Amino acid sequence: MDKNQAIIDYLIQCPYIQNSPLYFNLVNARNDDVQIITSSEDVTTRTPYIDGSIPKKYTFTLITFKSITDMAVVKDSQHVNENVDDLADVQSLLDWIHEQEDAHNYPDFGDDCYIDDIQTTTDEPQFDGINDELTPPLAMYSISIIVNYIDTHKVLWKEN
Amino acid sequence: MAISQFNLNDKQRAERKLLITVAEWKETEGTTTSTVREILGTRTEDSSIEYNADIETTTDIRGINYTDVNRTQPQQDFDPYLILGGSKLGAFLNDKRRRNAVSELNDFTVYVITAFVGETGAYEAECHTGCTITYTAIGGDSNVNMPISVYLSNDYNGSGAPKTGTVDKLSDDFVFTPDQAS
Repeated sequence: MDKNQAIIDYLIQCPYIQNSPLYFNLVNARNDDVQIITSSEDVTTRTPYIDGSIPKKYTFTLITFKSITDMAVVKDSQHVNENVDDLADVQSLLDWIHEQEDAHNYPDFGDDCYIDDIQTTTDEPQFDGINDELTPPLAMYSISIIVNYIDTHKVLWKEN
Repeated sequence: MAISQFNLNDKQRAERKLLITVAEWKETEGTTTSTVREILGTRTEDSSIEYNADIETTTDIRGINYTDVNRTQPQQDFDPYLILGGSKLGAFLNDKRRRNAVSELNDFTVYVITAFVGETGAYEAECHTGCTITYTAIGGDSNVNMPISVYLSNDYNGSGAPKTGTVDKLSDDFVFTPDQAS
């Protein structure tokens, strides 16, 4: 089972991503784009269980870009600042991951793996800065996500 | 009987998953009694059979030591033993725990399978009847853990020693074939 494809299939269930162009391992700064950037796991720290199964992590980062305004925040509750509104929008992507964890709705990594949990490393999106050389200027946000799973394909014992 | 050699390449280490402990017990539902088995050690990183040998050493007037092993009391602890969905033994022990039915914890059959000895279809194993499995705690931090201890009987149906034999496969439905007396 291709875990990268499993992650893509999983994420496209998210309403935020359904409404945004999705890219894989490509940094392409455009308004509302979402990028999946994969990471590698240090296997030297792994400790297999005595039945041969191995706890593993699939780690990736979601990066999204939002156009920004240079308008000051207006001290009027009726007025919504675009930057504040955009952050709330990105927050909905992070919240969707939390909702899936609560519902135990996980990516399908195949019969030889079962998922323990899916976690974000922060409760809010990370603000990674502004690229003001683009038109419009874009703010970059990132969300780091870890899928903890057990790989059982080296287990000898078969349960009936 | 000849000593069996390891089924490993020269200098190859035996992976830990080749030493397997399986618990077997009977469950009664209504009028039906069934035999249930479960491999022990799911999500346990480290577990060993401790033999707890009772050793007595005497020294004669020449200074020579004589050491007797009076008995062994083999025991294997599994910590963590996590409460996991689908765990048959976990559910069985939890039922005993909540009823404090400690007298019902001593009728397990335990197989110790050494899959690094023998060949496909005939892995060496030993069978202990009348074993005890106890829960030692329940709780933990993020997940519920109920560590257990397995006390091997060193006995097979009153014979005074575990029965040696082979199992035909590494799955719950294995068949244990006792060695023939030579």
